[in-house]
Amino acid sequence: MTSMLITGANRGLGLDFVRRLAPEGWHIHACCRNPGKATDLQALADTHDVTIHALDVADFAQIDALKKTLGDEPIDVLFNNAGIMETIQRTLSLDHTNQMFDTLDEDEWMAVMRVNTMAPMRMCEVFVDNVAASARKQMLMMSSIVGSIGSNQTGRWYHYATSKTALNMVMRSLAADLKDRGITVMSLHPGWTQTDMGGPTAALTIDESVGGMVEVVKNLTPADSGRFIAWNGEDVPW
Amino acid sequence: MPTILITGANRGIGLECARQFAADGWTVLGCCRKPDAATELAAIEGVTVHALDVTDIASVDRLAKTISEPIDVLLNNAGQSLRPALEFGSMDYGRWSDLFAVNTLAPFKMIEAFHDHLCRSDRKVVANVSSIMGSIEDTGSGHVPYRSTKAALNMVTKALSGDLSSDNIIVFSIHPGWVRTDMGGPKAAVSPEDSAAGIKKAIEAADANASGRFFNWTGETLPW
Repeated sequence: MTSMLITGANRGLGLDFVRRLAPEGWHIHACCRNPGKATDLQALADTHDVTIHALDVADFAQIDALKKTLGDEPIDVLFNNAGIMETIQRTLSLDHTNQMFDTLDEDEWMAVMRVNTMAPMRMCEVFVDNVAASARKQMLMMSSIVGSIGSNQTGRWYHYATSKTALNMVMRSLAADLKDRGITVMSLHPGWTQTDMGGPTAALTIDESVGGMVEVVKNLTPADSGRFIAWNGEDVPW
Repeated sequence: MPTILITGANRGIGLECARQFAADGWTVLGCCRKPDAATELAAIEGVTVHALDVTDIASVDRLAKTISEPIDVLLNNAGQSLRPALEFGSMDYGRWSDLFAVNTLAPFKMIEAFHDHLCRSDRKVVANVSSIMGSIEDTGSGHVPYRSTKAALNMVTKALSGDLSSDNIIVFSIHPGWVRTDMGGPKAAVSPEDSAAGIKKAIEAADANASGRFFNWTGETLPW
């Protein structure tokens, strides 16, 4: 039986990963901030081997508490899926005037860094022994092409972009640090997808994006450690 | 003669850059947290010393108001590393956040604050002192916080090169080498003189084609 611990599992991409893998018999620890509101996830938990945990990844004490709950249980795939564009929730738009040049907001930038860059590192620190004790030994980061320095042409979304660049660096360094323990670490780019963050005019349906990423994840080998792979299997430039 | 503003100009690479640009006749605005203690900087002919804590937004805005003259080159040199380094399993997230503030957000804030000064100048160049340790392609084990702040700075460089191209502002990152400074230590391979000379050369050669790139101090392009 394959087990997964996934953050941000109540909607969008995270929810669809659970929706696809739970019927295949995966044992899933699905984390979200407000389980009481996660009705779609709850429906999956009612009929599959899915356990829901309350977790705000920005609150590191909650990560420690989750570790106490899970103990030494092996985790095949630790999936750092939770991420934010900004602390208020709204759809991605080119019209955003925040996160642009001349609008520096230090607190907001740091809040995005904490959720998108530091929380994944904290999750990996806390659950590294669980992953090392599993068969698959995989740590996944939900990154974005917005964090690709080589692909950036336009500026804007500075907080989000730098947080995903830094996350890719975390991923690369962990791939080197944890190689000796047999752990595979990699970043995913989901494509611009019709989620709450991506908005309804995005290029990909959730089905297309997660369908592709599930194939990438299932086919991962240790040789893929340190890679940044898009939903369609292509490498994304740094 | 052109004017250059240098952050972290009281020691190491910043101090040596101040020396070399001043020796070449440039007007040098040397910034540091404690001007009273910056005796070496103050002794250089052609250098004006300014108090600046780059992580203090009010301090940056205050300096931008104090200085009225155009600034040809903004050299975002001030930066920190963590010693001992924070390694996997013993992260200190408060210190990591502080490092982001100094190495990533502060250079961005400096460019915002001095945007108008740059626009009014002839050269319009921003040089961000990054590090090869911020190269994701080239990365290895350890020093994750420092690496991540410099990778994020490189993203700032690349994104700003697009945002500011309409103002004809040139923004690039430069790896100064492993330099014999307080940060680099006595065993480092490169002298501050050679590193500063490389940075000066890159700044003087910078044209539109250099914008959005990551250079080694010896001139070649480094991978993101």
